[in-house]
Formats: sequence, structure tokens, C-alpha cells
Amino acid sequence: MKRRARPQGWLSDVDPTASAIGSTAAVLLTAAIYAGSRGLRNFDAALIGYATATIFLAFGVTYRYVVWVQSPPTRRYLVKGWKAFLSWRNFRRFPTLVPKAVVSNLAFQTFIKERGMGRWAAHQALFWGVVGATLITFPLTFGWIHFRSAAGTESHYEMYIFGIKTVTFDALSWLGWLTFRGLDITAVLVIAGCAYFLWRRFRDREAMTGQHLAHDLMPLIALVAISVTGLLLTFSSALLKGRYYDFLALLHMGTVVLTLVFIPFGKFFHVIQRPASIGVQIYKRTSLEDKGPFHCKRCGAAFETQTYVEDLEETMSELGLGFEGWAEHCPRCKRVERGIAYRAHVKEGF
Amino acid sequence: MMNRTLFIDPGRCIGCQACVAACRECDSHRGRTMIHLDYVDEGNSAAAMPTVCMHCEDPVAPCAQVCPADAIPVGPDGIVHTAAKERCIGCENCVHACPFGVPKLDLTEMLQYKCDMCYDRTSRGLSTMCATVCPTGAIFYGSYEELLADRPHSRASDLFGFSDSLVQTGCAMVVPAGRESVSVPGGYV
Repeated sequence: MKRRARPQGWLSDVDPTASAIGSTAAVLLTAAIYAGSRGLRNFDAALIGYATATIFLAFGVTYRYVVWVQSPPTRRYLVKGWKAFLSWRNFRRFPTLVPKAVVSNLAFQTFIKERGMGRWAAHQALFWGVVGATLITFPLTFGWIHFRSAAGTESHYEMYIFGIKTVTFDALSWLGWLTFRGLDITAVLVIAGCAYFLWRRFRDREAMTGQHLAHDLMPLIALVAISVTGLLLTFSSALLKGRYYDFLALLHMGTVVLTLVFIPFGKFFHVIQRPASIGVQIYKRTSLEDKGPFHCKRCGAAFETQTYVEDLEETMSELGLGFEGWAEHCPRCKRVERGIAYRAHVKEGF
Repeated sequence: MMNRTLFIDPGRCIGCQACVAACRECDSHRGRTMIHLDYVDEGNSAAAMPTVCMHCEDPVAPCAQVCPADAIPVGPDGIVHTAAKERCIGCENCVHACPFGVPKLDLTEMLQYKCDMCYDRTSRGLSTMCATVCPTGAIFYGSYEELLADRPHSRASDLFGFSDSLVQTGCAMVVPAGRESVSVPGGYV
């Protein structure tokens, strides 16, 4: 069996399907920005760098996602996972399966707790910091949310969502403080999480083994840079009477834009991949109920499910591996059988 | 096979589990062993079989190929690494597709674990933990030339037969002289 030859030239590496779907995503987001900002009337031109980078991000992330789901194992899980998720029968049988998996795997990432409490706490700080900052920043830069000072008041603001007036609040109240300091709070959370992980990357030999500057350290450095420059904006307006604000705003936008453009290519892409674990969980749980467990052909011990082993064999066959039958043996039996064969045919009776 | 690699000789293994204990000491997977030691004919014979990741070269890393999350990186030096922690979604495809039965999965941590030939050590020119402590030389780390100099009557094979397929690996099995051109049987499936 030979390795697949790589196509020559970078253009031949471009996936036309992924390009088309990625471009559609970018166009849809642009249209949503236009419509959501009421024909750009509520769009803040000073934030155009953020919006442009986000449109590129939509293209990049969609492109990579489409390329990713085309590989045989991913495609199979994607189809089977969605089928299991959208099945009414499965919903009736396991009504809490998906909500539980979403809360435990995606929101609170309890599996990281098993790797270490410090890592879990740091990841939670990082996660909620990033989620909060994203929920605040994206609608603002798209012009979907904007604020106006309420007529006839000194410190009251009106919040508009998609051009529709929603709440009026006092900037000096706790709601006002929380609204205008939301990004500062998320920045502190992100810095705390990143600080722990950076410390770990320099001190923990488990983390240091095989780490790469671009893959493992740059994402943390980028998040710290965004958060620190963001906090410096507050520092400038609160304590320096706005001195250096313009320069700091440009610096902050530069760090954000570079990070957004980097997302499809680097470690951040795991944010897009992670929900696949929910699909896998639903697929495994429901296929266990449907066809039951699979039993090792040699020792008879139950492992995985009938459906899982059939699907894995199909994936292996599609990849042209040629030893699909081995998937029907548990890992220990594979090793023992190889030992028996070695003893019988290579070094007799060792 | 790789230039400096692991050579496994089950004929020398006495099943002492020193490799298992040493592997557990490694900083990169503290307290957890990556090497497998199986007793081939338990109760009738002391024959034991150490299994490390063979770092498949052709086809390249089946475990990585069946991974739906692209989580298992293969280095330019041919080392098939443990799954990237942020990507592994715990599907166990790698565990059951590996013809050698090497990867393990901890579902509570949602993490795959496998032998990465002590990358923290071998990338700095040191030997693997298992080979360092093996008292009988059943696990040998070095170049093929070093193996031949040490054991003139032995050879090594990096070709394994699984059904009708051949798998060429980065690590190798020690075989008697004259048998190096024949593939090592992968089992009886």
C-alpha cells in the first residue's frame, strides 16, 4: 500500500466545495450585518476592522469545517450523530441525554476536571471570558446593538437591538456599570486562565512535551494581548483622561483582527470541533440500545456496540486500510494473538 | 523503519513488568503506563509480549486516519503522537482500528493515551524509559546497526501481515537471521 501522493501546487489544494460554502457563509454574514444595522445606519465605521475580520473568519471557519467533515470518519459521525439527534424516537427514549451532554461537555467541561482541578478552573475562566467577550463584541461591531443617551437625562442610556429600543438604564447604576465594564470583566477572566496555562506550558513537563510555539503558545499570547490592550483602553479613559486612547484602540483592533484571522488555522478551531463529542455520545448511547454490544470474536468480552464496529469497519474499508476484520477483536486479544503467532512462526516456543 | 527506534524481542521478555513501571514514571503521562505487557499463554507458559506503538509508516498511522477529529498528529520524524488534548472527542476509533491494539482511552478525561516513544526523551537523544530499564534486552532502543553489533545472529523486521494487508512500521520486531525478508504475522484473524 502506498501513501497518497499530494497534489502539486497550492491551487490544486483548494477545495471548491468548501470555497463555495465558505463564500456563502461570508456573504450571509455580510447581509446579516447590513440588515441588522438597519442598512448600516447603526454601524460604527470605527469598528469596520473588526467586522471585516469577522467576515473573513466566517469564510475561514466554514471552509475548514467543510474540508474537515469530508474525511470518511468525520462524515460518518456527522451523519450518524445528526440522525440520532433528530430522531423523535431517541428523544422520547433519552430526553435528558443531549441537555446533560451539552451542560457537562460544552458548558462546564467536566472532563477537564478529571485532568486536574487547576486546569479545569483555568479553562472555565478562559472559556466564559471568551464567550462573554464574543457575545458583547460581535453584535456591537456588526451594528446590531448600539447605545444612545436618553434625551433629557444626564447619565441615562437607551439600548437598541437591531434598531429596536429595548431598555433604558442609568450608566451609574449596577446595570450600567456591568454593561460598560462587561469587556473588562471578561478580559480579567481571560488573563487569569491564560496566566495559568502559560505557567503550565513553561513549567509542566507533560505540557511541554511536543508543544509548538505556533500551536500551543501563540493562542495564549494572542488572548493575553487582546485582553491587556482592551484593559488599557479602560485605563486610558478612566485614569489618563483619554490620553493615548486612539493609539491603544488601533493596537487593540490589530490584536483582535490578527487573532480572528488566525482562528480557522490554529488551536482555536477546537471550539468548532468540540460539539462533535455530543454527536458521538448520542450515537453510541442510542446504538447500544438499538443493536446491543459487540462481543470480541476471540474472548467474547463486550466492547463498543454492533453498529459502532460495523461503521468503523466501513470507515477502514473506505480508507483502504485492508485489515477491517481486526476491529472485531478487543485490543488485548489483538496483542495476545500477535504474541501467539510470533511464538508459533517467528521464534518457535520462546 | 526509523533511524533510531525500538526493537522488540518477545523471546527475551521475562514478564517482569519493569517496562510497565518505568513507563508509568514518565512526566508526560504521570502515573499511567503506555506500554502493554501481555502473557501470551497464561497459566501454561511464562511467555510474555511487550507492545509499544509501532508508529506505522505505510499505511501512515491508521489510528490518525480513522480519527474524526484530526486529533492524532504524525511528526515529520514519523512519530505518531498521543491525541491532542483539545481535540480528542473520545470516540475510540483509534483504539479499535489499531491492528496492534495500542491506544487506550480514558473516557472520564475524554483523552486518548498511546506510546509516543518517550518523545520528551528521544527527541533529546535519550533512550526510551522501557528500553532503559529492560533487564533482558527484550526492548532495545537504537539504530539497526547498533542492534546487529549487539546481536550478530539477530535481524529485524518492520513488516507485519494482517489478513491480506501489509503494514510497514517505524519500530521493528527482532527475528532470527534469514527471516528478515518475511513479514511478521499480525495474528490469526
